[in-house]
Amino acid sequence: MFDIRLTERGDVVLAGRFDAAQVEKARSVFDTVIITSAVDFGGLEYISSAGLGLLIATQRRLKEAGHELKLRNLSPHIRDIFKIARFDLIFKIE
Amino acid sequence: MPSRSCKLFGADAFDVAGLSSRPKFSMQEEFKRDPKSLSKVFRFIDSFFSKHHLDSSKKPEVLLAVEELFTNVIKYQAKSTKGITIGLTKGNGEVTIRMIIPDTEAFDFTKAKDPDLDLPIEQRRPGGLGIYLTKRMVDRIEFGYRNRITTITLTKTIGASDV
Repeated sequence: MFDIRLTERGDVVLAGRFDAAQVEKARSVFDTVIITSAVDFGGLEYISSAGLGLLIATQRRLKEAGHELKLRNLSPHIRDIFKIARFDLIFKIE
Repeated sequence: MPSRSCKLFGADAFDVAGLSSRPKFSMQEEFKRDPKSLSKVFRFIDSFFSKHHLDSSKKPEVLLAVEELFTNVIKYQAKSTKGITIGLTKGNGEVTIRMIIPDTEAFDFTKAKDPDLDLPIEQRRPGGLGIYLTKRMVDRIEFGYRNRITTITLTKTIGASDV
């Protein structure tokens, strides 16, 4: 089960398991993000390289426009994945 | 924590499709070669962890390793529609996951070059990250290939108190 939604402030909230089969659903939301926004991982149990690829593509697009994604509330497992993928060099992780 | 160093064994290390040992699998199932099968694969692994009362904190690492290999097969071995069999077993403080993929071209991913993760975002290119993560999630990977059948065996230490 994977869920993604936008808050009224324009932040992205993720929950469940973000696997390769969920990328198009997630892309439809991330594509609407056009300014600096937070991504709340508090409810996310799992992410694979497919989800990481979408995050990095979104970050690249936003940075070109002078904006960025900031990541919040990562679980210890997901924090480890981000460190291994060296995403800590690319994202501000709060 | 994910494993920091994974032992890799390529096809030339084994004489029979990379099978250095033949564990008897406590659970085995065949899945369609389709991304939509991932939810079934995950339920299968969930039920294995539940059945054997395994440490659930290690489950995301197993799910990640299996998903990355499963989706890699779908993406790069797309000509065939034959199903992928996944077997799971436990013992000696380890979980063993075996994927048997029929009708494949030979591609020994254990020999694939790791992506350069120190590049700035502008220079990062897609590809290679999934296999790299797989190598970091498990302790041992054996790759075998014979008669167009690829066999991948992953071993993950769960800890004696959990298994």
